[in-house]
Amino acid sequence: MSTSQAIYAGWMEIPNSAVEEQARRRAEDVALAALVDRYAAALYRVAYSVLRNPADAEDAVQETFLRVVRHRDTLNEVRDHRVWLIRIVWNIVLDRKRRAKTRPETDDVAELARVLPSTGLSAEELAAAAQHHAHVLACVEKLPQKEREVLTLSAFEELSSVEIAEVLGITESSVRSRLFRARNLIAGLLDHARSSK
Amino acid sequence: MTTNHHNPSSFGPESAEETLRIVASLPAPQGLEYRIHAALGSAPRRARVLPWPTALKPQSNWMRTAAAAAIVFVVAGGGWGVYRRVEQNRPAKVIVLPPRIGASGGFSAAGAVRTPQTISGPAAPQVSQVRDGKKPTAKAGAKAAQKSSVTSQVAGRK
Repeated sequence: MSTSQAIYAGWMEIPNSAVEEQARRRAEDVALAALVDRYAAALYRVAYSVLRNPADAEDAVQETFLRVVRHRDTLNEVRDHRVWLIRIVWNIVLDRKRRAKTRPETDDVAELARVLPSTGLSAEELAAAAQHHAHVLACVEKLPQKEREVLTLSAFEELSSVEIAEVLGITESSVRSRLFRARNLIAGLLDHARSSK
Repeated sequence: MTTNHHNPSSFGPESAEETLRIVASLPAPQGLEYRIHAALGSAPRRARVLPWPTALKPQSNWMRTAAAAAIVFVVAGGGWGVYRRVEQNRPAKVIVLPPRIGASGGFSAAGAVRTPQTISGPAAPQVSQVRDGKKPTAKAGAKAAQKSSVTSQVAGRK
């Protein structure tokens, strides 16, 4: 049935190009599955840090990979898959957040207490920590968008300033200056909150 | 990771970054990869274009000839069909044309005849009597006219 040149299926000859196409598709599927296994968790964390809602974050990760499937032809041209994927999920979550225009769910102290790691903490300490984090996150939300984005991405230990610049589409020096401004602003906001207490 | 995240008294940019770091390092839910694989599996695939069989490749000569013949057949068949339809003896449609509009622009005289106003013409004298069966001559006529005018003058004097 099969020859070295082409495959014959019944009366129809399947030419070499079709066989190559099938093989290429299979290889792309394998590569895509590897990307999912390797980067899904990281993408989820990026999505969660913006949306602060587990279901929305998971939806955003799924949408990211569906977009990758749609543009699978360009998969081989991508230099750094990790940064590329983070950039896609970043755009998706920003778009979703803009559309929803709701406060992140994790600003709710009870929800924060549920999701935060609770190892070695009593219930009282955990509640206090949750309250503190909720307050800090509320202050972060008050930052200007550009500074907030840089500060949020800088929290990911696996992202360097060069990679943050690549995700946001800006220069590395802009990342540094925005991060500096963000730190000053957040310090001011937290000081103001402490003095007003 | 530092562990001051549960110390509410620590305020400052480090505290904010620490909070963000905790949020950024939260573990992904169980089975996330599996669910994504399932979603990708059920996603609609892009349509594949099947290649033409070798014998039916559009580039082959006999395929082109067959296509040309098919076009000729369709065109000729269509023409013949039209011809057949026209050939049938159908009663010709009579179309009543509207009367032509003349130079008068559609207005008529409604039967009116223009009669020019003229001065009444000279009245011819009447011959009173024919004597002896003779036809009155021009001379006799003049005499009679003279006589009648004299008579009328006399009558006027009276």
